[in-house]
Amino acid sequence: MDQFLELFWIFLKVNLLSTSGPASVGLLYHEVVGKLVTEGQFVQAVGLSSVLPGSDALQLAMYIGYAVAGIPGGFVALLASILPPTIIILGVTMVLHRLRREAWLSSFIEGLTPAISVLMLFVAWKIFQKGGSTGWEGWAIGIVSLIAMFLNAPARIVVILAGLVGIFFLK
Amino acid sequence: MNESKISVWVRLLWMFLKVNILSPSGPASIGFLYDEAVGKLMTEERFVEAVGFSNVLPGSEALKLAMFVGFAAGGIPGVFAALLGAILPPTVLMLIVASLLQRFQGEDWLASFVAGMSPAVAALIVVVGWELFRAGSRKKIDRRVILIALLSAVAFWFEIPSPFVLLGAGVLGVILFGKRGFK
Repeated sequence: MDQFLELFWIFLKVNLLSTSGPASVGLLYHEVVGKLVTEGQFVQAVGLSSVLPGSDALQLAMYIGYAVAGIPGGFVALLASILPPTIIILGVTMVLHRLRREAWLSSFIEGLTPAISVLMLFVAWKIFQKGGSTGWEGWAIGIVSLIAMFLNAPARIVVILAGLVGIFFLK
Repeated sequence: MNESKISVWVRLLWMFLKVNILSPSGPASIGFLYDEAVGKLMTEERFVEAVGFSNVLPGSEALKLAMFVGFAAGGIPGVFAALLGAILPPTVLMLIVASLLQRFQGEDWLASFVAGMSPAVAALIVVVGWELFRAGSRKKIDRRVILIALLSAVAFWFEIPSPFVLLGAGVLGVILFGKRGFK
């Protein structure tokens, strides 16, 4: 039961403090890695969510929930991820349509965004360090992927190729 | 009357199933959704408004868009039809893949696959972080944004729990940016 409560609380928190799935990765890392899942599982979750079609946030929730507590865990994490945006949007569309003039929320997000970016940088570094390949091979994969994605190569293809390179070259 | 309403809901459900099967993430689905929804279910103006709201409200982007479009086209039941369409494909797929992967968790090839994927995932996170940073300050990156970034870097360095840092950054945003309004 404790596990379910913990999952629920974590995903509620993460989805309240980030504006999209990819942006939630940094916060999610701090909340789950080492406590609920391993580094490797987290990399799988992020990698797969960028490969599979559809919302990344829901996929992260499903993977991590499932890894922690099976199918019920997946659904608990999913529910916690769906609640915040649903309640907020229903509130916005129905009650607070004049929210556009309530500018504090927009300023809050504007302040939140640079902090999320910095957090993601920290987490990216940790994932790189603990990924098991910090030799020249790891750097090569990282730098090539970085350049490829800045040149707008689709992330899912880059991630899958990097994994395949791993199977063949990182034994 | 009743029949046409139901057909709107079915259309919403089908549309979001399609969009969420064919696009890799929330932000990537915007273009696709535009083609499907604008002109048929809602006006361009409302669509732009929906995208604007999704960017500034918390939670999964794909879900927020789904709910706005669903509401515009079919009211509250429309919201739930769109939501269902947006939730099913990614979660069912992930459940299948996660349960398959769980069996291989100890295998060597999976460990190597993850080892290869790690630097690429790290790179992906850097890229997304950078894009967020740029998109977050629409004009040029001004001093206030840099200040918040630096302060949060210091906070993360000293390992202050990240939810507190993020909340603090948001509050600082309210103080620094004040009342500016959406867009």
